[in-house]
Amino acid sequence: MGKLKKMAVGVLCASMLLGCVGCGDSKETAGETIVLRILENDTAKKEGYLDALLEAFNAEYKDKGIQAVDANMDEYTDLAANGPYGYGPDVIYQANDKLMTYAEDKHILPIDVESLDCYSVTPEAAWEAFKINIDGTTYTCGIPVNIQEPMLFYRLDMMPEDWESNWDKDGNKVADFFENWNDLYAYSKYLRDTDTSANGDSQYGFMSSLNNLYLNGEFLFSYGAYVFGSNDDGTLNAADIGLSAGDAAKGLMAMKQMASLMNEGCIDDTIIMKRYEKLADGSYFCVVSTPDTYSLFIEKLALAYEAEGLSAKEAEEKAKENLMMIELPGKLPADGDLTKSSDAMTEDDWIDTVVMGGVNGYGISSYTKYKDACMEFVNFATSYEMIQTRMNTLGIAPTRSDVAEASGGVTDMIFESLSEGRIYLMPSIKAVDQIWVPAQSLMGDIAKDPYREAAGELGKYVTIGQLEEAIEKVDQDIYDAIFTLKD
Amino acid sequence: MSKKIDSVVTHMILIAVCLVFVFPILWLVLASFSKSGSIYDIDGFFPSEFSFNSYHKLFVDTAMYDYPNWLQNTLYVAFFSSLIGTVLVILTAYTISRFTFKSRKMLMKSTLVLSMFPSFMGMTAVYLMMVNFGLINQLWSLILIYAAGAPMGYLVQKGYFDTISNTIYEAARIDGASNFTIFVKVTLPLAKPMLVYTALTQFAWPWSDFILPNLLLKNKDLWTVAVGLTHLGETEFTRFAAGAVFIAVPIVALYFALSRFLVVGVSQGAVKE
Amino acid sequence: MKREKPSKIVIASCCIMGAGQLLSKQWIKGLLYLFIFAAYVTYMVTSGMNDIKGFFTLGTVRGDAWLGIQGDDSIMMMLRGIFAFLLTAMFVALHISNVKDAKGLAKRLEVGKELPGFLQATQIFLDKKFYIVALLLPVIGVLIFNVLPIIFMILISFTNYGGDIVPPELVDWIGLGNFEKILSLTEIKDTFFRILSWNFVWAFLATAVNYFGGLGLALLLNKKCVKHKGFWRMFPILAYAVPGFITMLAFKFMFSYGGPINYYITMSGHSAIGFLDIDAGWTARIIGIAVNAWITIPTSMLLATGILSNMNTDLYEAASIDGASKWKQFIKITLPFVVFSTTPVLITNFIGNFNNFGVFYFLRGGLYNDGYFLASDTDLLINWLYNLSIDNNYYGIGAAISLIIFIITSVFSLLVYVRSDAYKKEDTYR
Repeated sequence: MGKLKKMAVGVLCASMLLGCVGCGDSKETAGETIVLRILENDTAKKEGYLDALLEAFNAEYKDKGIQAVDANMDEYTDLAANGPYGYGPDVIYQANDKLMTYAEDKHILPIDVESLDCYSVTPEAAWEAFKINIDGTTYTCGIPVNIQEPMLFYRLDMMPEDWESNWDKDGNKVADFFENWNDLYAYSKYLRDTDTSANGDSQYGFMSSLNNLYLNGEFLFSYGAYVFGSNDDGTLNAADIGLSAGDAAKGLMAMKQMASLMNEGCIDDTIIMKRYEKLADGSYFCVVSTPDTYSLFIEKLALAYEAEGLSAKEAEEKAKENLMMIELPGKLPADGDLTKSSDAMTEDDWIDTVVMGGVNGYGISSYTKYKDACMEFVNFATSYEMIQTRMNTLGIAPTRSDVAEASGGVTDMIFESLSEGRIYLMPSIKAVDQIWVPAQSLMGDIAKDPYREAAGELGKYVTIGQLEEAIEKVDQDIYDAIFTLKD
Repeated sequence: MSKKIDSVVTHMILIAVCLVFVFPILWLVLASFSKSGSIYDIDGFFPSEFSFNSYHKLFVDTAMYDYPNWLQNTLYVAFFSSLIGTVLVILTAYTISRFTFKSRKMLMKSTLVLSMFPSFMGMTAVYLMMVNFGLINQLWSLILIYAAGAPMGYLVQKGYFDTISNTIYEAARIDGASNFTIFVKVTLPLAKPMLVYTALTQFAWPWSDFILPNLLLKNKDLWTVAVGLTHLGETEFTRFAAGAVFIAVPIVALYFALSRFLVVGVSQGAVKE
Repeated sequence: MKREKPSKIVIASCCIMGAGQLLSKQWIKGLLYLFIFAAYVTYMVTSGMNDIKGFFTLGTVRGDAWLGIQGDDSIMMMLRGIFAFLLTAMFVALHISNVKDAKGLAKRLEVGKELPGFLQATQIFLDKKFYIVALLLPVIGVLIFNVLPIIFMILISFTNYGGDIVPPELVDWIGLGNFEKILSLTEIKDTFFRILSWNFVWAFLATAVNYFGGLGLALLLNKKCVKHKGFWRMFPILAYAVPGFITMLAFKFMFSYGGPINYYITMSGHSAIGFLDIDAGWTARIIGIAVNAWITIPTSMLLATGILSNMNTDLYEAASIDGASKWKQFIKITLPFVVFSTTPVLITNFIGNFNNFGVFYFLRGGLYNDGYFLASDTDLLINWLYNLSIDNNYYGIGAAISLIIFIITSVFSLLVYVRSDAYKKEDTYR
């Protein structure tokens, strides 16, 4: 053995040592100003809301020595992986299910919410989404900002000219097909039947990628299905999976009927990807999407008007005038049969639509050095003015009742739906990660059934019994996914 | 006559094969020039209207997606990984090919075995290690990992060195040259095509990898092109296509400029006379 | 000049690294050894001992960020423990070399030989043991960035890490618990064997298609009647140069319901085909093979082109004279030549395909089939592993399964490799 090897190894050891010694936390010297790193979502950044927020906050808190900056990270950054090592943001804006998985492991701090200005004007249902029970005590770990639920987007200029005479039987100035699903089915069918294009692919009614549980939850949750049941103390019980509960199979039958009026794009993500363009070019009458995509629809619709010869400004104005975002029709048939005419149905034949939704909000990282400053920030960011700016810039539906009321319209309606329980909030526990793939695998397969039958094959889900069996199997699969590998 | 038929059939097959290869790429390229900014409203393979919008956006509209910056980061990482990686691979391959020593066969077998591990299973370890060394959010931590992993793929290069006759070395040895001198003065010039080939493959890997940078780079301004592209919003397909085409261009150009070496590199490495 | 007794030198070096060398006035070498010794001892005292202890306990204090308790990070402790062991192993190796060196010195002194100076010794070493110098850096790099993560992963398979047990929860050693679970749970066992068999089918098919596809293309381009070979070769190389994840994403959209292929199918009056649907089965599998072929055939074409150019054409002439048909020539001459000269590459390709993560992750991620536990019928073992350990966080089980796969693949490929001509004749080629 010779020297060089030894030398090289020596140098290596020494450098490793240095590496180990130097690996301790390099604490930033706080100095005069406290710097808070804020993680917002991409849309807020893109539309300039984040800049407005930071600017307003920094102007207000300059004297107090607090400065907020963009965390400069991916909007879906996993706090659990980065926070403990000092690479996470101080304040994080994400959906309630995501934030609450952090809370389970205490990666975000419990908050004394009563001290916040928005506390009294935010409904209990929204706070509920951020509550967690640890060792018998209930903590609130997030501050609700806005409600996310699937919405229906349509173009005012694509409404049938005769809608007031033919499609508004109750004469309440709201088209029937936006009030109940049977009429939506009927109108979609009408559009399909009168499609005169060569391939019959230029005129669709209601469109949605049905393999998406979140966007199409109404077919389950309106009929009594739930994700996780509750324990006696009100906490969620991951062992009680209830996607097949109640009349869920009937709801799925309704979904299958709806699928038959779309095209194969409803089996995979195609409609999700094409919805902006297809609504803009008029081939889809209405599509399902979330409120935060509002600006994307406007963008594409404006492009379409521009192509018709309008100037960029006119096109955008026209797009804003014509793009409508409403809640999904409020009534589903209790028996799950959309093909029945709504005329023949009485009040008892209907059930309320319950969609799946979520509440986005702020959380404060447990690894922040400036807890109080973070509180100041979230309090500022959920103030009346900022939430209003947020609503106006991003078209979100705020959880603050005062802002929602002042704006009226859809925003207020979404707010009401949340308060009145017509939105099934995504459960805030980790196990919820396991529900998506099994449920969506089945939903896509059910959506395919009409196309199997059209191609002359045998349908897999013809009877309610078959659907029941399939959805029960999904419950079992989810249970297995959660518990098989548990100790 | 039969020769002519043979020629026609051959060319027809060739044209078909080339179409198969070129079509998806053509599609991406055309999509990147589509006016609507989305591939999803293109009916069939071809957009109806063309414009340079996507490319313009790619380089000008950098508020959300700072493509020029990503490009710069990628270039930096790929260049240095390639430089250091090539040196390490060539050194390893040459040494294992040229010298016989006790643990040689063991080394060869263990690299074969090691390369069979699914790399993402070790990602947690790599991440924690980098946290430990304080190397998160450092571009050169990527260079370190890429370069350090490079010698694992020494097999092709070794095959190439195997084809160089021992007599050349022995002649140099008799002239009194040291092993180091032989490596620099004799081996490296002989291995020029292999050097080019190695450098190119070492360059291409960081160029398109997104798992590792996604793990180690938290700050958006440090992202590489591959990471950035995978984070593009769902309606940004043409921007994606434009970005994809743009990063493929230098690689394609390099491949063509060096395709002579490429053929030699890939084939010589695998062949034993 | 007074010299120390030879035996004393060895004993001194045994106790303190470099002491013997210093006694025999080998200053630089001695100091270097001493420095390393000191560095190691400092490391052990400051953190090494704790790290090793931590490796066995995997932490005792559960962290609670709310109460400001900085708990033990079990996984980090394991990693640091492995690191400490690695450093210790290196230190032991160095220490042995130090003692050997001291013995050598002692011997030389005994017979009264002059000791070589530091520079001179270095030079001799550099030349004589060039291979050590050359391989040092690569080996260390691979050790740290490839071997250490693998050791880490193997060790993880003996812990209960994953599921609910993620930081700040403390991880524990559970011995063979994960392996017992795999063997005792029918869901997992069934899925494992189902995927394993498809995985082998896939690896064989994919390797064969790529290999012969490339060879066929090369043969075609090699024909005398083909002019402008460079031009024709351009197209596959184009495919070779585009980053894989981009082509994969493009292919996924191409085969979706809204993609161009289905557009033309519906335009021509047929109903759309669910190429990648949940019940697509073999359609999806074949598309996977085709996409994979599209990506890898260019490489194997380049490879085959080079090999064919090395072939001895005399053989063909002889065969032509014998009146052998083209097909026979191919089977009897070309194929054996190509296959035998590329066995190692074939093995690498086979393993590469066996562990081909990208194709089905991009084409068909996010689907679970009936009869599969957290997997779809196109998923390969590596995709399943990903679903288990990354998507569903069952890290310990995932590690255990990957260890099993690893053992299967490495035994298989080592056997083939050691039996291959390329390996056997390795020493006799020149």
